[in-house]
Parts: sequence; structure tokens; C-alpha cells
Amino acid sequence: MSLTAMEAAPTPLSKPFQWPKEGVARAPYRLFSDPEIYAQEQSRIFGGPVWNFLCLEVEIPNPGDYRTTTVGETPVVVTRDRDGVIHAMVNRCAHKGALVCLKKKDNVASLSCVYHAWNYELNGELKGVAFRNGVRGHGGMPKDFNVADHRLQPLKVETFCGMVFGTFADEIDTVVTYLGPEMSEFIKRNLGRPLRVLGTHSQIIHNNWKLYAENLRDSYHATLLHTFYTTFKVNRLDMDGGIVLSDRKWHHISYARRAKMEEAAEYSQSKVHSANFDSALEGPGLLESWEEFDDGITHSIQTIFPNLCVQFTLNSLAIRFFAPRGVDKTELFWIYLGYERDTEEQSQMRVMQSNLTGAAGLVSLEDGCINEFVQRGTRSSPRSASFMEMGGRQVESEKQSRATETAVRGFWHGYRDIMGF
Amino acid sequence: MNELMSAAAESVSPFLRERLQNLIDEYAYALDDEDIDRWPNFFTENALYHVTTKENYREGLPIGVIRCVGRGMMVDRVKAFHTANIFEPHSYNHLLGRPLFSIGRSANTYESRCNFQVVRIMQDGRTDLFATGKYVDKIVLEKGVPKFEERIVVLDSRHIDILMVVPL
Repeated sequence: MSLTAMEAAPTPLSKPFQWPKEGVARAPYRLFSDPEIYAQEQSRIFGGPVWNFLCLEVEIPNPGDYRTTTVGETPVVVTRDRDGVIHAMVNRCAHKGALVCLKKKDNVASLSCVYHAWNYELNGELKGVAFRNGVRGHGGMPKDFNVADHRLQPLKVETFCGMVFGTFADEIDTVVTYLGPEMSEFIKRNLGRPLRVLGTHSQIIHNNWKLYAENLRDSYHATLLHTFYTTFKVNRLDMDGGIVLSDRKWHHISYARRAKMEEAAEYSQSKVHSANFDSALEGPGLLESWEEFDDGITHSIQTIFPNLCVQFTLNSLAIRFFAPRGVDKTELFWIYLGYERDTEEQSQMRVMQSNLTGAAGLVSLEDGCINEFVQRGTRSSPRSASFMEMGGRQVESEKQSRATETAVRGFWHGYRDIMGF
Repeated sequence: MNELMSAAAESVSPFLRERLQNLIDEYAYALDDEDIDRWPNFFTENALYHVTTKENYREGLPIGVIRCVGRGMMVDRVKAFHTANIFEPHSYNHLLGRPLFSIGRSANTYESRCNFQVVRIMQDGRTDLFATGKYVDKIVLEKGVPKFEERIVVLDSRHIDILMVVPL
């Protein structure tokens, strides 16, 4: 594990951390507010043996294109060189450590630091430095200065289904192995053809990044908190569906099939908040959709550890990428996608359905505040823990029901593993 | 898109200008007064209401943050606001710049651009600058009453703090 690639081994916690004896059915609240744990995550997780989502290939289609992003909190730049090869480097000059690439995207012949004009190839190798031989015979670098000794720190890069992944780990399996067969097959189903970006925005959520990682895996809350969906019968727990966990439990898929819409007794009797919305839309165009796949799955959320999600709700395909911005702040990016092959009509349906999710999503906007409610509720009680036994205490796939917290327990299973907790 | 020619701005009479600007002001005051039920009434039946970021707008990308095609979708958003969506209570205060108007391409239509800053006040009193940007509008006189046929809200920033449930 190449922690050294980012930072030296993480400093030990000043107060030792003990996971409760109940295991992954509990998550101590300290995990969401302790800056030392947050700092350890930067090296153990984001700088460790994971594949981090960097960007989409379509964002850097041409030689000389670059796109900046972050891995954990580390600034990273992804480039495409003149041979079309994709590279990723820490966006930090080898001289004084200034950011080299300042824009979100650009097209350049080489990468040049504005501070002292150190100039790099698109693959991060140092080409030359200003005044290397001094000015009028004075100054300059020492004789033994060698550009080959200095470069932008590289990440290992792989692409899969149009997504660019990067890692700081020296020894790590391929992306496909990292995902496992079920996860990679499902990504192929959703992203395995030329993609088109239909629009993006981001959302600042005031919570630890792991609360959103939990939230995505929490199929229990979906129809209880997000009542718009339930009422319009897009997604209900009485639909056929389930949860698939990857081998190491790090990643998951939650899926639903559109089934016959019969009122489940539990819904009508319990008078949960979910049931009290008019069923008729004044603007039914919102949910106009077509069946894209013959497996019957109409709704899926797939997470890839640590901070990536692919959503496919009806025809709304989007990547959600959530970047930690501090122990209690996260930037959630929404990248809405279609396929190159889409007809105008299909594109329009994806556009209309984008109203369901995102910062103003009729279905999902609650996630913008619910995790903050947990952050605020827990930050003064680091020794207490959450209770997550819906669907049992096991950490296994569940093909019968989505009223389960198994995927959340799966996240903590993977988290304990990588953090050594 | 529909950027304004400043020369054309002079072709809207002061009297008409007053009425068009009233629409823009009343819209903002209705939202600031938390009278969200009135919001769809500022639009024509088939109007477009689109909230997007400057980045998407420049690149001509169709998906932003909100896209209502027709008043029905706006009514649905209002209903969702009242009965389905969960959020911490808050209100807005719009500060509008001076709009520029020009004659539109079809009869009885006018184009407008107006800057805004929206402050968000949470229930605990926290007061933050929530959004800045511009309104790019097409206004039509419907039986003599000005209504938005198109209102594109172009946000300067790519990100939205927490969530957006009340339209801008």
C-alpha cells in the first residue's frame, strides 16, 4: 500500500478508537466529526488501495485536454497526451507546491506552473525550468540539477466504461477486479456505450462524506423520507427488487423492477407520511419514460467505494460523485448523462426526469439536509453510536427486500477493513 | 441565445416598461413573502422555467437544476413543496438589479435580463447569500397582462448550498 505516495503513515489517534462489540450494526458518531479520523481517511482510503473516480473520458476528448478534480482533498489533474493516452497527476508543482492547472478544463500544449514557470509534459514529466542556467552567467540551478528527478507525482490510471479512475496504490488489482463481476457487469449495462454529458451541477452538503456514503446504501429510508416517488409509484418497497453486495461489501447495487402496483397492506394501514400526496401529476411529462433494458430493472442505485454512485432511475442516468471538503462538509456532484445514440425524444425524457434528482430533485432533495441533520444531531455525542439492524445484523446480499440496512453495514464492513478499526 | 441588444432597450415605452418590471418585482415579492402558491400564475400555460448554472448555459447543455415545461409541472412543484418534500424552514429575500427590456421576435413579446441576489434566511436566523445570477426572460402580454413565457435562471455558481425547494 503506497501511503507514502501521498503522505507518511498517518499519525495515530490521540484518543484510541474502539468499534462497539455489536460490530457493523453500529457506527460510532465520532466517525463523523473527529478531524483526526478524517485525516487518517485521507491517506488510508483516498491515498490507499482504492480506485478513485477522476472524471469521464468525454470530458477530455482531445489531445492536450485537461480536467482538474480532487482525490480526497488532494488536487489532481487528468490529461490526455498527444498520443491519446490519459494521465493523472497530483496538481502540485514539484518546485514550491503551487497548483499547476487552475481551470476546471482547458486545452494546452504543456502544463506550466504560473509561479516560476516550471513546465511539464502532458504526462507530468518536467520539461524545463526558467533560468536553469542563470541570467547572464549568474545564478541558475546547481550543476547536478536533473529534470528527470522532478515531476508531477503520478497516479496509476485506468478507464472503464467511459470513466477514468486513479489510484495512489502501487499494488492494486485492475478496476474490473476491484469492482468484482456483478458490479462491473452492471456498470457495463449502464455506461457501456458512448456517453454524452447533458448537464452538471453540485450541491454543498454540510455533513461528513460517510453520511452520504451511508445514505446512498440505505434502501430502508428511500420510500419513507422521499415521499414524492412513493406516491407516484415509481419506487415502492412492495416492488420486486433487492440489494446486491460486492464480495468485499464495499460496493452495492440496489435495484427495483416495475411490478404490478397493488397497494401493500403495510402502506395503507401504517399511514406513513409516504402515502399522502395526490397521485395525479399536473405535468405528467415528468415521468414519461421508455423501457431501456429487457431485464425489467427500472430503478437502480450503484455505489463504488469510496465516493462514487451511478444512478439509473427510469431513464435518468447520472453519476454522483461526493468529494470530502472537510470533516463536516462534502461537495456532491451531479453529472447527468445520455448516450450518443439517443434520439431527440429519448434525450428529452432524460432531461425531464432530471427534475427527480439533484439539488432541487423532487425525489431526492431531502438528502441535501437529512445528512446534515445527523451531523448536527451527533456531533456532541462522539461516544454514542447509530443502530442499524433493519433486515438483521448480517452483511449479505438481499434479493427479497429493500427494507434493509445490509448495504450500510456492508460499507462499514469495508471501512473497518481499510481503516484497521 | 436571447442576450439583449442594448440599443433595442430603448424601444420599450416607459409605460410598458413599468408594467413589465412590475411582473419581475411582483414575482420576487411573492416568493419573498412565502406565497409560493402564486408562483405558477406568473407564467403562461406552456411556459418554460429553467434554473441552470452559467457553466451549463454557456455550453448549451439542457440539464441544470430545475426544468419545468408548462405550468402543470410548476403546480406539481408547489404541491410537492407543501406535502411531499422535507426541508428545514427558510425564506428568501431577492435583491433585483435594474432590468433591461427589448422587443421580442413575435408580437406582444418582450425580452428581459435582470440580475439578482438571493439571501436565504433559515429558521434559526442564519442568513446567507444563497444565489447570484441573472434572469433571462421572455415576457408576453396575455390579454394585456404580462406573463413569463420563458424564465431562465442562470446561476453564477456551479453549486447550491444544501438544497433548492423554493424556486428562485
